[in-house]
Amino acid sequence: MDVQTAACIGAGIAVLTGLGAGFGIPIATGKTSEAIARQPEASGKITGSFLLGIALAEATAIYGLVVALLLIFK
Amino acid sequence: MSEAVGGTVHEAMSISEKITEGMGIKTVFTIDAFGLKIPISDTVISMWIVMALIILAAFILTRKMREIPKKPQLMLEACIGFMDDFAKEKIGHHARTFLPFLGTIFIFLIVANLAPMLTPAGTGLYAGQMEPLFVIKPLTRDINVTAALAIIVIVTVFFSSIIIRGPVGYLKHLVHPTPVMLPFNIMEYAIKPLSLCLRLFGNILGAYIIMLLIECVVPIAIPPLAGLYFDLFDGLIQAVVFAFLSTIYIAEAVE
Repeated sequence: MDVQTAACIGAGIAVLTGLGAGFGIPIATGKTSEAIARQPEASGKITGSFLLGIALAEATAIYGLVVALLLIFK
Repeated sequence: MSEAVGGTVHEAMSISEKITEGMGIKTVFTIDAFGLKIPISDTVISMWIVMALIILAAFILTRKMREIPKKPQLMLEACIGFMDDFAKEKIGHHARTFLPFLGTIFIFLIVANLAPMLTPAGTGLYAGQMEPLFVIKPLTRDINVTAALAIIVIVTVFFSSIIIRGPVGYLKHLVHPTPVMLPFNIMEYAIKPLSLCLRLFGNILGAYIIMLLIECVVPIAIPPLAGLYFDLFDGLIQAVVFAFLSTIYIAEAVE
């Protein structure tokens, strides 16, 4: 197996980090909708913490993507 | 190089070639100054265009300010009021100190992420028949831009923390809950800018590559719809997230 093939397989494995974000963000979204349905007047604060949460949850997926891109193109 | 190969091979080659070309940062021209050759990449030119847009908008919108505002001034006041309220809610009574900085980052990122919609996409539109003169690509797809922004933010966090808390207060804050947390508190100064930088870069570059792929595979009907999500929504959300996280970092540094 030459280096390029190994790098491509590695890139595929790296992108598996997207699984975590894919499971986590929908849960956060569902809980946010629930919370807003219970207390519509607090929707501003809830949306704020929701945005912060998904930004942090998304980070792992993005790291996977960056690692994959580095493996393929560099 | 692609003219030599024809037919189906050319098609198969062109997708990966286009993506590689889209990812790379091209050097448009070089400036000879002081015996140095300064390469000017397309990111820098896009940046100039974005800067020109913001300066022009600021100039036009703030002319003829009056007591009873008309439409442009109302719009401007609503935007500033929104950012002011947000900063006050998060940062507290130091909000006015940091509002110009955070607002500038926010406005710059919004304009930078939306500016690519000003020029035609370049890949699918003319079926390769005609090259537009200059295509503004999303300039946050260049990691240098996002790294610079992240470094500016973390330097601001560091110095504002020292200045507002005082040197002793800052050292106390470093060992805040327990002295065991000291290495982690110091590590945050590396992790925060890294994650800020890579989040913005990865999101915009990922969306850009997906749009390139879609334009190569289905050049008609789908790209405008997908572009609504990948260009408009994703760009806006990432600008908001970047400004939001910067605000949170500053808020916890000076609280």
